[in-house]
Order: sequence, then C-alpha cells, then structure tokens
Amino acid sequence: MIQLFHVSKYYDRRPALSDVNLQIAKGEFVLLMGPSGAGKTTLLKLLFCAESPDQGQILVQNRNVARLRRSDVPYLRRSMGMVFQDFRLLPKKNVFENVALPLVVQGASAFETKRKVTEALKAVGVEHRKDSRPTTLSAGEQQRVSIARAIVNGPIILLADEPTGNLDPELAGEIIELFKAINARGTTVMVATHNRQVADQVSRRVVTLNQGKLVSDEGVGQ
Amino acid sequence: MRVVAYLVREAFSNIRINRTTTLIAVATTAFTLACFGVFLLLYLNLRGVISSLQDDIQVVLYLDDGLPAQQVSDLQQRLKTEPGIASLAYVSKDQAVADFRAQFPSEAHLLQGLGENPLPASFVVTLGPRFRSSESIKRLADRMKDIPGVAQIQYSREWVENLATVIGYVELAAIAVGAILSAASVTIIASIIRLTLYARRDEIEIMHLIGATGAFIRIPYLLEGAVLGALGGLLSLALLRGGFEFFKLQLGAPGRLLGISSGFSFFPDHISLLMVLVGLLLGFTGSGVSLLRFGRAKA
Ligand SMILES: Nc1ncnc2c1ncn2[C@@H]1O[C@H](COP(=O)(O)OP(=O)(O)OP(=O)(O)O)[C@@H](O)[C@H]1O
Ligand SMILES: [Mg+2]
Repeated sequence: MIQLFHVSKYYDRRPALSDVNLQIAKGEFVLLMGPSGAGKTTLLKLLFCAESPDQGQILVQNRNVARLRRSDVPYLRRSMGMVFQDFRLLPKKNVFENVALPLVVQGASAFETKRKVTEALKAVGVEHRKDSRPTTLSAGEQQRVSIARAIVNGPIILLADEPTGNLDPELAGEIIELFKAINARGTTVMVATHNRQVADQVSRRVVTLNQGKLVSDEGVGQ
Repeated sequence: MRVVAYLVREAFSNIRINRTTTLIAVATTAFTLACFGVFLLLYLNLRGVISSLQDDIQVVLYLDDGLPAQQVSDLQQRLKTEPGIASLAYVSKDQAVADFRAQFPSEAHLLQGLGENPLPASFVVTLGPRFRSSESIKRLADRMKDIPGVAQIQYSREWVENLATVIGYVELAAIAVGAILSAASVTIIASIIRLTLYARRDEIEIMHLIGATGAFIRIPYLLEGAVLGALGGLLSLALLRGGFEFFKLQLGAPGRLLGISSGFSFFPDHISLLMVLVGLLLGFTGSGVSLLRFGRAKA
C-alpha cells in the first residue's frame, strides 16, 4: 500500500528525513511518533505530494509518487483523505458544502453528493450541524467535520497530522475512536502525533522518528 | 454541468464579497477603455469625414481654346473609357461664364471688361472610389495631360495628401494609446486578482489538498476577471456615450466643424460590442497573468 525506500528530504541542506525505509500494508493503523521537528509532517507531505523527496522512491498504491507529474497530483489525492491539526475548513461555506467539496471537484451528481455527505456526517456524528458555518462549531466538532470531508470519497488511505493537537484529552479520545472505526472498515490509517496518550489508546503499530531517522518500528498490543 | 454551475457561482460570489475591489477594477477598466474609446471615436469620425470629402475630389481638364466640337466629343468618348473615371461633365465656355457669375456675383464686372469670353471649356471628372488616393490621381493626371486638346489639368494634390497624412497620424496615436491603456488595464486587473488570490491563499491550498485540479481552482478567477473587464467595457461605453452627447450639444447639432456637414456619429453596434469584448479579454488576461505569477510563486 505505502512503501518508502531510502527516502531523504532536505530543507536548506539540513535533513528533515534521512534514509527512511517503511512498508505499510493495506488496512493497517500506523502511528507516526517522535519529538517536535522529527520529520513526521514532512513524511506525510511526501505521501500526499505536497513535497517531493530529494532521494529515494515512494510508492503509494504501487504508483511512484516521487515521479508523479504535477497534473496527476489531484487524482492521487482523491484516493486519500487528509486531516490536519488546524482542521482547514472553508470559513465561507457551511458544513455540508465543506464536506461536499471533494465530490464537487470531481463532478459528482447532486444526488450522489447528498447521499455520501449525509453518510459521512452521520459517521462522525455532526449531521445536526450541516447548515452551520465551521466557525460557529466547537473545536471537536470542526475536527469531526474535517474527518467527514476526508472520508466522504471513500478513500483507501487516511493521513492525519496531529489531529488531536488542538483538542483536550477527552475530545482527543473521541477523535481517535473515530479513526479506529474508519480503520475497522478497511481504510489504511496513518496518524502523526507526539501524544503518548493516543499511542496507548490505539495500541497498534508505532513508527518513531527522531531527527529525520526512523529509530523504531514496533507493534504495540494487538 | 454541475461543475460549471459551481464555478460560475464561485466567480460571482467572489465579485459580490469583494465589492470595493470589484468597483475599483471596473472603474479603472472603464476609464482606460474610455480614453481609448475617445481616440477610436475621433478616428472613426475623421475617417468618415475624409471619405465624404474624398467624394468631392474632382479633376478638371481645361481644353484648348476653340477646340472644334467634333474633337470635344471624341475626347469625351475617350475619357469615358478611362477606368478611374466615374462620371464626366462637360462645361462649355458659356457655362463657365454663367458659373462664374453665379459663384462670384460681385466680381461679374471683371468679365465684362474683357469683351471676349476668356474662360476655357472644361471636363469635370469625378473619380471612382478606388481611384481617389493621391498616387492614382497623379497617375491619371499624368496620362491625360498629353492627350491632344487638353490644355491643363487641375486637382488639389496637397489637400488630398494632407488628409492621408492626418488620418495616418490619428491611426498611429490610436494604436499607441490603445496599447498603453490595454497594458494598464491588464496590470490593474492582474493586481486586483492577485490581491484576491493572496487573501484566499488558504482556501486555494485547501482546494488543492482535497484534489481539485489547477483548472478547477483557476476558472472562477478567470471568469471573475472576464466579468470585471466586460463590466468595465460596458461602463466605458456609457461614459463615452455621455461625453459624446455632451460634445455634440456643445458643437450645436448637426456637428458643423471645419464646415463639414456630415454629422458626427457614435460607434456602430459592432464596435460597441467589440469594446465590451476587449474589456472582457483584458480582464481575462489580467486574471491569467496573476494566476501564472501566483502559481510560480507557490512552486
Ligand atoms: N518548509 C520548510 N522549510 C525549511 N525547513 C523545514 C520546512 N518544513 C520543515 N522543516 C524542518 O524540517 C524538520 C522536520 O520538520 P517536520 O515539520 O516534519 O517535523 P514534525 O515532526 O512534524 O514536528 P512537529 O511535531 O513539531 O510538527 C524541522 O527541523 C523543520 O524545521
Ligand atoms: Mg508536524
């Protein structure tokens, strides 16, 4: 599903990632951990083609994303869902429109859009707020909306960068449960975090980075 | 179909949300287009005037005094076969005197003192539309001056040439002004769209992240530019029309300037439409320019 071979990425000649090798199988739930500046965000950015590696190869669903043409990037992203610490919702559109956006850009029909958006909103439990502006929602609700947007397309991979960073522990726990439920339906999930509590709650595979190097890769619990 | 509706809605909601910048964009485009429009109006009207003046261009062939009637009619036959000549009028000696009396009644006594009629007979030649340039008049005159019986040829060469020069200058000025002002409105629209892009860079990034193609993201901005430009074009037409009516009023209808009797006219419909289209194109280009720059800055 996701394979990294000797991947390095430099910013101003300083390595953000150096010689990372990683294989993730379909349906796995992987936590990406490590201290601030370890390279977690950089690794995720390489996976959704916001950055390209300076060395090494990256295969996502058997496609070499390191060599992807810029015009092909949108199509790769349509098979992925992305969740961020700061939610990244469009403030001028309501919840329904925000969640519908990945379908609209693909030209989905109104009927299909309504069905899928309603389903996604139900799955994350914010269906009752579908006509609200994101700014009128609590942080936890906003993150749920952004997760609904990430899964509305039925993605094969879900990438999340510090999804609980702006939430208190209780809300964070609820969000992690959502990810587990999404994973249980077959989606490969990769969550970057430096929150130990999350790791304890998930108790799955944990990949740890430090100063750009992969320092440990272990199954927890299972 | 749904995508198109979405893109159009995005463009118009942008226009509605950024009302002040929209107003500035439309006003500046209108102003620049109106400046150009003044030149265009001047040029088109001048060209109209000139072609009506050229209708009056005549060449007069004065005949040898006492040319026999037979030779006059031979000459007339010969002139009728000339390709550049549209019409031909014979003015006899007597007719010439009558014309002179009619034209200059106060000078009529001058003729009386001379006894015998001193005015020569002549052919007044009107040229076909394609033979009114100064070169073809000269060519025709050169050919005819050697015909036996023709004493002298008269036509106002400088006058014809001056007209051509004037119209050439106006044309040049219109092109130069048009080019400068087009560049100005492209720049203005480009910077306005750039401001919008900058203000919405987070939204644009989000659109990229959820898998929108570059075209999908760009089209609303291109549409926005085109709409702003077209609105500017419309407003410029309104401004020009207002200015034109005011100008006509000042001159006193029907605009008699330099003794020209043909009234001034506003743009014909197809030119008006063209002005709006030019506005649209300028807006579209302005938008495209800033999108290109924005895209490059991001890469
Ligand atoms: N755009 C950039 N330009 C320059 N340096 C960068 C850039 N992005 C990241 N870096 C550097 O690369 C290194 C890894 O950054 P990264 O954001 O991947 O860390 P992280 O593990 O996500 O940290 P955090 O937990 O704080 O989010 C850091 O040293 C950071 O300063
Ligand atoms: Mg990070």
